[in-house]
Amino acid sequence: MSRRIGAIFLRAMMTLLMVATLNFILFRVIPGDPASLLLGGARISVTAEQIEAQRQSWGLDRPLFPDQVVDYLSATVHGDFGYSFKFRGRHVADLILERLPATIALVGLAQFIAILCGVMLGVYAGWRRGGGIDHVATGASLALYSTPSFWLGMLLVVIFSTALGWLPGYGASSPGATIGFVAWLLDYLRHLALPVFAVALGLIGQYVVVARAAMSDVVTEDYMVTARAKGLTNGQMLMRHAFRNAMLPVVTLVSLNLGYVVAGAITVEAVFAWPGIGGLTVEALNARDYPVLQGVFLLLGVSIVIANLIADLAYGLLDPRVKQ
Amino acid sequence: MSEGTVQSLSRIRARAIKGFLRQLLGHGGAQLGLVCLVFFVAVAAMPNILVGPLQTAITATGDFLAPPSGQHLLGTDDVGRDVLNLVAHGARISLTIALLATVISLIVGTIVGITAGYFGGWVDVWLMRLTDFFFVVPSFVLALVITPVVLEVMGRGGEILGFRPSLFVIIVVIGLTSWAFIARVIRSQTLSLKERTFVDRARIAGSSDTSIMVRHILPNLVPQIAANGALVVANAIYIETSLSFLGLGDPLQPSWGTLLSLAQRAGAASVGAWWYLGAPGICVLMVSLAFVLIGNALDDTFNPRRRVIP
Repeated sequence: MSRRIGAIFLRAMMTLLMVATLNFILFRVIPGDPASLLLGGARISVTAEQIEAQRQSWGLDRPLFPDQVVDYLSATVHGDFGYSFKFRGRHVADLILERLPATIALVGLAQFIAILCGVMLGVYAGWRRGGGIDHVATGASLALYSTPSFWLGMLLVVIFSTALGWLPGYGASSPGATIGFVAWLLDYLRHLALPVFAVALGLIGQYVVVARAAMSDVVTEDYMVTARAKGLTNGQMLMRHAFRNAMLPVVTLVSLNLGYVVAGAITVEAVFAWPGIGGLTVEALNARDYPVLQGVFLLLGVSIVIANLIADLAYGLLDPRVKQ
Repeated sequence: MSEGTVQSLSRIRARAIKGFLRQLLGHGGAQLGLVCLVFFVAVAAMPNILVGPLQTAITATGDFLAPPSGQHLLGTDDVGRDVLNLVAHGARISLTIALLATVISLIVGTIVGITAGYFGGWVDVWLMRLTDFFFVVPSFVLALVITPVVLEVMGRGGEILGFRPSLFVIIVVIGLTSWAFIARVIRSQTLSLKERTFVDRARIAGSSDTSIMVRHILPNLVPQIAANGALVVANAIYIETSLSFLGLGDPLQPSWGTLLSLAQRAGAASVGAWWYLGAPGICVLMVSLAFVLIGNALDDTFNPRRRVIP
């Protein structure tokens, strides 16, 4: 067991190291020296001596390997991701931390809804294979699975915001409507509704497909026949035997999926101008603000690695066979 | 080998292929997917004949954001271009990007998978480490970081192989970041194939490792490559659409994702111009659904015991 955990941690560290290395290489590949880029490019006239002085003070005159790589890695480990180009002088780490809560609210709520609806629907469809609900759920899931969630978001805006006027389709707060915490929270939730719906719809498709497949595998197992022979009711068979075993692949998918969920949320945030990491990414992309892009990449890398760690460790706890 | 044997061999092969096609075409999902795909490939092959040359702001013929009418079946965009015209030309760009990117990832994935599975040992360990990285980090995220940097290095002017540089970069980046899934499938299949007798026989007959991999193992991997390749295309379309939506596409050669990005910038959703954002989205949905259905049907046909998705 401890050997397994050791291997899992080693793999996680390798992944993080590769993310950091890619970040380092990409930043060096960009044409133009970082010093002249940061000093304002061609817009301000800077003398060669000034650039040279800056290069020295930042250690850019030292060899790329190992000096600069080591510097970069140690700064990254200490949470120093450098400064943003666009928001001049702001720390990338601060910018990201500022935007993180909005994304966590969006992704967390969407995951919660998607797991609840998707797993229930998928388990039911797999349990009653070939039934009416199964056909509808499977067809709809495949369609949702093939649809970019940001496009679902645009459709939701057209329907619920523009045509019906029920919910706001833009931003995170209405101007002037935020007197008091309760009013602010209600307003925030109203703005959150459509983006959450868009992200969740895309996820539900995946969860239905996986839960259904896992369930259809489980119902043909011998122990289900045994359970039936013991005289268990349908409900008992479903809850005690089928559901628990069918949940293993779902748990893995949910935790391994985190990177893809956040990636999908980036485009959805762009549709709704939601002030989270996705919005920040789009702003950085348009302004070619590489330090911010790298920071976001690193953040995603770290969260994906952590999610994988949790999945690996949880799998060992859920499935006793993995322990050996 | 005598002439008679050759003939009977080719007859057996022809019968096997016929049987396979019959089974595949009997699959409801495959029929739907193929019809859909043939339609879009036809549109992508001859957009100029069907809807005329790609309209620009100068050659635009309609009103601004006019809803669908007899003259403009899918309405017009914010500079008066016909949406049907844009979508038909977008089909060519989107499909080409997705297919070329898939070819790249199939080649990389197959090479990595066969090599890792066949040689085993340290080669396997290190190649799989690399694969794990690309498997864990979503290719969309990788492409999002890599594409702008490569674009900056290459510049946006000129054309490469008939593509604007940004599209070319997107093809290569998607191709090089989404092969991990294929590599895993191919590796596990190779692990079992290399223990078969025909591999031993080829080795005793004096075949080199490369020749065993290419001439004996690779042909047996075709089912896996085909079934998963269809899913890779669907994924490539998804990534391309998302990247272009975030503004990494090229407005001079607009794909469906670029059209969605233009629609978003024009505020199509908030003025209720459903035709403008609806048309490219439906196309993306239909094409990726077609590939998913075909992939599942191929999977079912090659391996009837597996029924992941009906």
